[in-house]
Amino acid sequence: MFKRLIACAFALLSFNLIAATHVHDEMGEFSIDQTPKRIIVLEFSFVDALASLGVSPVGVADDGDATRVIPAISDKIEAWTSVGSRSTPNLEIIASLKPDMIIADMERHATIYEDLKKIAPTLILKSRGESYKDNLSAVAKIGTVLDQEEKMQQLIAGHNERMDAFAKRINSDKTFLFAVSSTRGLYMHSPKAYAGGVMERLGLSSAIAEETEKAYISSTLERLVKANPDYLLVGEYGDETVVDDFKKNPLWNLISSVKNNTYVETNPKLWSLNRGMIAAEIMAKELQSIVK
Amino acid sequence: MKAQPITVFACLIFLLLSFSVWHIGAGAVYIAPAEIISALQSVNSEHHFIINNFRLPRLLISGLVGAALAISGLLIQGVIRNPLASPDVLGVTSGASLAVIILAVFWPHAPISYIPAAALIGGFSATALLLFLARHLLQRPAAFALVGIALAATFGAAIDYLLVVNPLEINTAMLWLTGSVWGRNWQHLPLIAPWLAVLLPIAMLLAYRLDLLALGDDTASSLGTNVKKLRLLSILVAISLASAAVSVCGSIGFVGLISPHLVRSLLGQRHLLLIPATAITGAILVISADLFARILMPPIELPAGILTAFIGAPYFIFLLCRYKNW
Repeated sequence: MFKRLIACAFALLSFNLIAATHVHDEMGEFSIDQTPKRIIVLEFSFVDALASLGVSPVGVADDGDATRVIPAISDKIEAWTSVGSRSTPNLEIIASLKPDMIIADMERHATIYEDLKKIAPTLILKSRGESYKDNLSAVAKIGTVLDQEEKMQQLIAGHNERMDAFAKRINSDKTFLFAVSSTRGLYMHSPKAYAGGVMERLGLSSAIAEETEKAYISSTLERLVKANPDYLLVGEYGDETVVDDFKKNPLWNLISSVKNNTYVETNPKLWSLNRGMIAAEIMAKELQSIVK
Repeated sequence: MKAQPITVFACLIFLLLSFSVWHIGAGAVYIAPAEIISALQSVNSEHHFIINNFRLPRLLISGLVGAALAISGLLIQGVIRNPLASPDVLGVTSGASLAVIILAVFWPHAPISYIPAAALIGGFSATALLLFLARHLLQRPAAFALVGIALAATFGAAIDYLLVVNPLEINTAMLWLTGSVWGRNWQHLPLIAPWLAVLLPIAMLLAYRLDLLALGDDTASSLGTNVKKLRLLSILVAISLASAAVSVCGSIGFVGLISPHLVRSLLGQRHLLLIPATAITGAILVISADLFARILMPPIELPAGILTAFIGAPYFIFLLCRYKNW
């Protein structure tokens, strides 16, 4: 009780004295005076973080297609205004929505950081090419900035418990691989990529564990055969992609997961676009049902 | 029959102004022409922020980049005496692109502001290399251009290699190189404006001698022109302009190729008239390209570089078909 009183008093004091929240972001120190209400996010992983807290962003860079956010996440929040593509978000629309905070991705938006800052305080975090751990630390920062640090920590703790439980239930010593396939090629996701990180978190070994440098690895069929995963999950962007050509090749049948009928076609929006705790748990669930 | 120069200039300036007003008014947020003036004057106006921070700098940068590329193309076509010559052909653009990609791959944490500098250094290095390799070919423009093409192809191959090996790291660099005016603001204006301010007058000074060069190398030298020096100077001016343009916006193709042709078909061969008219035409092309890049499918922004060809090519083909004897 005494502890809580002190914590309360401290919280009040700090609120009155500093009246600003500070976090360390990718550009240095980020500080904001009040709790942001109108938030614009420029990557999908931030939508997941906000949705976990039940906060609806006013604008999302959703590439002009709201369905790119998986329903499990979009159902938790209200409709938003599209602010264009993630690679070139529309600054005019961002400004016209009058946000009081913008959350941007270091990889994609460093070039427009100064422009964004003129519109509203801009928190710039890792998103594109982030690992599972990067994502959790970004999520914690978003919680702090929204003055919901404690709630976010609870959510992360709950997430960790559920992931531990999934790990226990899945408990497999096979090798796993997730890859994205489009008309431009097939990209394997290494343990450095988000999907690879989720697999690692679940105690699963990657079929390309030796790839520690790059997150996404452009791959031919032969490279895939060499990786030889026991479980292969492929997310296709489009109906007819590179993996369909692979299937016509006799080499395809040499892959363990094809032989054992553990090749699975899955939703790339879930496995690659919507990085975050909500998505990770759905991915864990899918993995569990695939393994059983 | 060529049109009266005064009519041509009046039309070009009218077009430039109309597209500028349209550029400022149209976009994801519509601003009526009447409001533009008041928004420019008053800081409190609702649209002041959008016009002042996004549209006005983009308009100016598009215009200046277009003008620089167009003059560059005019000079290169003038001295190489080949209608297919343009800054892209001589490897300037690909040299600049290669430098930006090298920066992104080998020094991923370099500040964003280094990108234009890298592009500029890349463009000039490519030029230096070209001038060194082709130093004995300056009197044979076609051979000179071919060395440029070969260099451009080599740089292109190096770019493709780096892109394939490092798909993720070059993201920011790629955006810069697609030839887009997206995300450009007042900070980028000093990267292009001083170049034009210095090099445009130099180009005008060269205009008379370029007219002589059009008569053939022999005639030009017998009339007292140092052909080799003129060629070198013109190429340097042209390539500096192109490098500056690429350093701000990445490669916006086609402007340097077609603007001089469009203007030649209207005004004939006098460079004193051609240079300003080509500059205005290039500005119109890039401004309209950036305009359509923003308004075709909002809120998605397209790279202006894609649209210059879409806008310019049909008109170019129309002209080529009409002026059969040219």
